[in-house]
Amino acid sequence: MAPLKIHHAIKSYGAVRILHGIDVEIDDGEFVVLVGPSGCGKSTLLRLIAGLEDMTEGDILIDGRVVTRLHPKDRDIAMVFQSYALYPHMSVAENMGFSLRMRQARKEEIDRKVREAAAILDLTPLLERYPRQLSGGQRQRVAMGRAIVRDPKVFLFDEPLSNLDAKLRVQMRSEIRELHKKLRTTTVYVTHDQIEAMTMADKIVVMRDGHVEQIGTPLDLYDDPANVFVAGFLGSPAMNLLEGRVSDHDPLAFQLMNGGTIRLPRALPVEAGRTVILGLRPEDIVLATGGTKARVQLVEPTGADVQVNFAVGGNTVTAVFHERLDLEEGSEVALGIPMEKLHIFNAETQQKLAS
Amino acid sequence: MRKTDNFARRRRERLLVFFALSIFTILNLVPLLWALLTSLKDPADAFTIPPTLIFEPTLEYHRQVWLENDFVRFLMNSLIVSAGTVLISVPAGSLAAYALSRIPRRSAGPILSTLFTIRMFPHMLLAIPFFVMGSYLHMIDTYPLLILALVAINQPFTIWLMHGFFLEIPRDLDEAAAIDGCSSWQAFRIVILPLARPGMTVAALFSLLLSYNEFLFALVLTGVDTKTLPVAIASFGGEDITSWSLSAAGAIGIMLPIVVIMLLLQRHLVRGLTAGAVKG
Repeated sequence: MAPLKIHHAIKSYGAVRILHGIDVEIDDGEFVVLVGPSGCGKSTLLRLIAGLEDMTEGDILIDGRVVTRLHPKDRDIAMVFQSYALYPHMSVAENMGFSLRMRQARKEEIDRKVREAAAILDLTPLLERYPRQLSGGQRQRVAMGRAIVRDPKVFLFDEPLSNLDAKLRVQMRSEIRELHKKLRTTTVYVTHDQIEAMTMADKIVVMRDGHVEQIGTPLDLYDDPANVFVAGFLGSPAMNLLEGRVSDHDPLAFQLMNGGTIRLPRALPVEAGRTVILGLRPEDIVLATGGTKARVQLVEPTGADVQVNFAVGGNTVTAVFHERLDLEEGSEVALGIPMEKLHIFNAETQQKLAS
Repeated sequence: MRKTDNFARRRRERLLVFFALSIFTILNLVPLLWALLTSLKDPADAFTIPPTLIFEPTLEYHRQVWLENDFVRFLMNSLIVSAGTVLISVPAGSLAAYALSRIPRRSAGPILSTLFTIRMFPHMLLAIPFFVMGSYLHMIDTYPLLILALVAINQPFTIWLMHGFFLEIPRDLDEAAAIDGCSSWQAFRIVILPLARPGMTVAALFSLLLSYNEFLFALVLTGVDTKTLPVAIASFGGEDITSWSLSAAGAIGIMLPIVVIMLLLQRHLVRGLTAGAVKG
């Protein structure tokens, strides 16, 4: 267990810069998720922490010690790969005990630690099997077992659930969380799945194009996104982002770029005529008697709730209702927009103006 | 109806493949059979036209080859040269191939292409400089010279072959090993090499076949002391037709060790050991 500090991490391949100076501080025992779309540099950052790639500039400190130039084996980390990367010619027990064997631990100690880890992960009956004889979920657990036997300072996970089917993914998600609660080892977890990020993280680092967009707890990021990207990335269905401007004549009318008007209960704290982006979470929209005129486009009941797409001018606005509404596709309704739930972003910088 | 059609078509295809392969096999085995029969016939029978199929077989020429013509010594020479070639060629080639499989493709590509060109170079043109170098170093008719020459012409193939095998071993395994505490060398030796064993067996087998059967370099670079079997058999040629039965007996004899080795190694040629390394 140890704090981890990434200081101004820059990574370039030739002339192409992948990471543009990343600063992240991770507390002792914290579970941090790096999330972002493909190619945002999250996996590269993880590989820099692991020492599998050389850093162009910057430093990485594990437990206060600079490890930037150290070989992976000297960093006291363990990593779970997306592909699991189990050694095919070794049994489950040998796979799990391999790192201890390389550190010349005594055989009894290796045995004991492997058995302990196997007990935690329900792998005891599988210890003598080979990776090819295991299912995807079991391999995943062996990969985690290999990481935990060593009791490293930091765990690194590189999209470990992406090869599992949906049901198993949900199950492994909670298993990894529980494991973390038990071991309290500092963890960096990479995923492109925002639901994984929201459900697992103590702290989320949202990345895009080699930059950190925002760092915070899942709910902070959800409730108070710093910019349009974070607002749109976290949450499913995604936040409605509507570009437009306040009417010159009517401060309560927000005219959308693609046609249509949003009726606001109060005036926005922006001057008339200025283009901004309004952000509104689907679950914050309500049906009202008066308000924004919208036409029902598509009704999708999921059982637990109903997701409805409304057309407002040329824009699609998605709403989620927890009650079972009887809405007819094509019919006209009025939508209520609660002011306190509204996010306002600068249309040019895409940064948040105010809530 | 359609299912039956498919089934019938597949059966027809399979029969076709079977016949094609049978013809191919027979074409390959005819010279071998001819050599075997010649080695068992008296030279007079061996040259009748049409060939006699009913004759009194004799092992006389096999006896002569092995007992009166120093074949045991030539066999030992061949085995020493082959073993030496395999023992240098496979480890050296594997190391090079592993490195080439782990560096960026744009750096590895030119090296691999260059190796390929060496492979295409006529061996005769290489034999001459080897002879000159060998004379200069007073190494003509020594094992090391022939072994080194054979390693040199054999390396491109070994490297290409092993490169393919190493490419199939996911790089994640190298990285997992590094994180688990292996140095690069340990990762290669403990994790990668055992997985490349089927490839190494194939590489060893091909190096063995090449060096065991090699004629040109052996002819140019050896003399009395290190003459190998192929050179020895060739020396039976000429006008005396008795020697045809002798060289046929020699050719059959030279095959036997290889057949034995092939049978022993066959079991190790199983692929797919990496199954289960990655993905679900």
